Amino acid sequence: MRPLPLWLKSGRVQTGLVIIFILGICAIFAPYLAPNDPNEQNLLAILTPPAWADGGDLMFPLGTDSLGRCVLSRLIFGARVALTVAFTASVGAMIIGATLAHIAGYFGGWIDWLIGRVVEIWLSFPPVILSLILMVGLGTGLRNVVVAIILVDWTRFCRVLRSEVIVLRRRDYVSAAQLVGFSHWRTITREILPGTLPLLITLMSLEMGVAVIVEAILSFVGMSVGSETPAWGQMIADARQNIYEAPFNLIAPILAIFFAVFGFNILGDGLRRTLDTRLTQTERT
Amino acid sequence: MANPSPSGPILSAQNLCVESLGGKERFPVLTDLNFTLEPGKILGLVGESGAGKSMIGRTISQFLPHGFAVTKGTLKFDGEDLVGMGADRRRDLLGRDIAFIPQEPLSGLNPVLSVGQQMKEHLLRIGLQPGESWKLRALKEFEAVHLPHGAALLDKYPHQLSGGMCQRILIAMAFASRPRLLIADEPTTALDVTIQARIIKLIGEMQRRDGTAVIFITHDLRLASQISDEIMVLYAGRPAERGPAKQLFSDPAHPYTRCLQLANPNISGPRRGLFILPERMPGLRVLKELKGCRFASRCPNVMEACTQTEPPLADIGPNHIAACIRTEKTPDIVPPPLAPGREIASANIHFNGERLTKAYTTAWSPFASRSSFKAVNSVDFTLGEGEFVGIVGESGSGKSSLARLVVGLDTPTDGKITLAGRDVTANRNADKAFRRDYIQMVFQDPQSALNPRRRIGSIVTQANEATGLLNSHRERMVRAAELLKEIGLPPDAAMRFPSQLSGGQKQRVNIARALCTLPKILVADEIVSGLDVSVQAQLLDLLLKLRDEHGFSMLFISHDLSVVRYLCDRVMVMYRGEVVESGRTEAVFSKPQHDYTRSLLAAVPPDDVNSEWSPVLAEAGYQVE
Repeated sequence: MRPLPLWLKSGRVQTGLVIIFILGICAIFAPYLAPNDPNEQNLLAILTPPAWADGGDLMFPLGTDSLGRCVLSRLIFGARVALTVAFTASVGAMIIGATLAHIAGYFGGWIDWLIGRVVEIWLSFPPVILSLILMVGLGTGLRNVVVAIILVDWTRFCRVLRSEVIVLRRRDYVSAAQLVGFSHWRTITREILPGTLPLLITLMSLEMGVAVIVEAILSFVGMSVGSETPAWGQMIADARQNIYEAPFNLIAPILAIFFAVFGFNILGDGLRRTLDTRLTQTERT
Repeated sequence: MANPSPSGPILSAQNLCVESLGGKERFPVLTDLNFTLEPGKILGLVGESGAGKSMIGRTISQFLPHGFAVTKGTLKFDGEDLVGMGADRRRDLLGRDIAFIPQEPLSGLNPVLSVGQQMKEHLLRIGLQPGESWKLRALKEFEAVHLPHGAALLDKYPHQLSGGMCQRILIAMAFASRPRLLIADEPTTALDVTIQARIIKLIGEMQRRDGTAVIFITHDLRLASQISDEIMVLYAGRPAERGPAKQLFSDPAHPYTRCLQLANPNISGPRRGLFILPERMPGLRVLKELKGCRFASRCPNVMEACTQTEPPLADIGPNHIAACIRTEKTPDIVPPPLAPGREIASANIHFNGERLTKAYTTAWSPFASRSSFKAVNSVDFTLGEGEFVGIVGESGSGKSSLARLVVGLDTPTDGKITLAGRDVTANRNADKAFRRDYIQMVFQDPQSALNPRRRIGSIVTQANEATGLLNSHRERMVRAAELLKEIGLPPDAAMRFPSQLSGGQKQRVNIARALCTLPKILVADEIVSGLDVSVQAQLLDLLLKLRDEHGFSMLFISHDLSVVRYLCDRVMVMYRGEVVESGRTEAVFSKPQHDYTRSLLAAVPPDDVNSEWSPVLAEAGYQVE
């Protein structure tokens, strides 16, 4: 058996992967795992406490909300929206950001200047406001949430990666590749991209955590998916009115968001520690 | 503060052993170290990298790497035990009674503090005379190391100063406390040859002023013999030979000392061949199992008895000891005969550059006007078939900029480049394709020149990837095996990554990549600087051998004049972007015409220890910007 690669040996990476794996299972097998239909309203059993509390019902392990919907089922189904947004938005933001970063860093000159200024202007908008404005313009729906997050967050990738590209661009092996006749495209993909890949992966996993939060914010203000699709932010918004009668309705989705973001962040941190070539061996251990 | 005791050595080591205790196994790092250093004397420590030179400095400061410890013997500073002493007492001594000059002047100073702040901190720590202000004291110390404009210097940050100036500031700091012992770890390796001479003279001057004992660590035997009273040659953590500097250099007893000396090209007298020390110094793991002499595997005088027991350090003369059982055979080691000089009869001109000029401008911005600076100014030169042309000059003289113009990484702002009769000045795509098959470059720093994520086999055949020839993996591996054989690497190296090779091996790979498409011209930018003399000799020899096989010509950039003298047929001396002198190497080196060439040549330590080393100590170029 081949030994595990270094990055898989890190406890942080393992923790992160386990959390994301659990969430992924929940999202994929939601219809089989959820005890109830998440949208089914049971007006005879509204604001039921969790099963272990007085008056709890085993049918609703985490209780019900003000419309009598099963909290656990909604949590499990909510993972679908959260993870879809996390993966697609971070991949999209990564593609736009990384492409522009490689172009800017590799070619330099006026292209670099132009991209740099666009990023700066973009970054000077408050990101949440910008995504709200975008959602108002685009209308609600899962696809539009993803588009909004991509349009807000590509700058993060562009900024960080550009400086890494510039460092690699000055390496002699890039000059050597040009001398043996590599085209620009080939030089970037074969010589530079392998060097920026660790940073790219790390940034992506951090971006997934950010995307989960932004989606929660948007669904909290009702600007995300429609009310027929359960989402964690929506659950927080719904539970707000009954915060004293049924605190668990609020705590459950908050814990779910915390759990997901923690998983992505600790994975990103672990990847950064193990993949970043700039860290020395001693820092790693 | 200095209170040198009138008698007794400043530093003495007895049977000192340092071992690495990391993991389950113990490896000896330094073995049987015995020496005494009298006040006011200079001890030169010489050896290849990995010989344990720097480890001695770190043992004195007890700043050993994690897992390393002194396991045997004593190390005494003026009678006090350095190994067993408390941390407080040691901290008190270090920087005050024991001073250090580091290898990299820029990393020796804190980049975010001004020179004045760092000087103040240091002076306050070592203590001032009553009523003395730190500023006046700092200026006094700057004056002692011949730093002009001391007051202006205090407000500067390290990055605003040249490497030579930073090193002077560090020397001023080191000597400010009138230390009794100074440890200089390769203080000039990162500096230009002319600055090296000035720094060495300065250390000598300061050392005589204060009667400081100095440990001078260097890889350059010639340099050590010029400034030291005594030299200790280290091999794989054990002294190979120790003796008075002049005697050791002119009449080495240990074969290793002799080989080191012969591996370095001479700067005066008739050119001689280089002695090629095979392979490398044994690693820690091998050393542990080794029974006989450590040097046996590379020694030209090896015999059966050498591999049986470790030879003791035996007296062979007054104050002269060597760890060899047949020192009488050492003078028999002679360099191989020089390859017969080639006649460059062919008038076949491969490369012709006329009035080449390159001006660099600041980065593009619509809000600032761009300023420009001429790195290369109107340089004319030609490269004939099979000809090796050397370019020498200090850093900043435009050597590397010229190399980039020649290979086509940059386009000249003015002038004309003709390659085999074809004008390629404009560097259009068609020109680039033509150039690529004709001219290739070997880069300076193997660390940066090899993509750490590619395997060696893929790196050396990179050129095939772009041309589309030999595209299949198998064909490429066949070609890689051929190339690796030519440059003297085992075939299994093809599957390794650059990080698994030594510095010398990486540089071979670097050469192989340039040779892949068999270009007619190679441009080599400082390819042997930073390598050990034994590795340097191997590489120079390899280049000559490859020329015999493939007949390429080469533009060889170096700051090391003796290497250029050994290798090149013609030489050009560059100064501030211009060629100030050029001609046949012999002629330029024996009868230099330009003042700058003369000062460059005078800065090289002479081959003969008895001849006076008198570098021109003009202070030109030391201006605070």
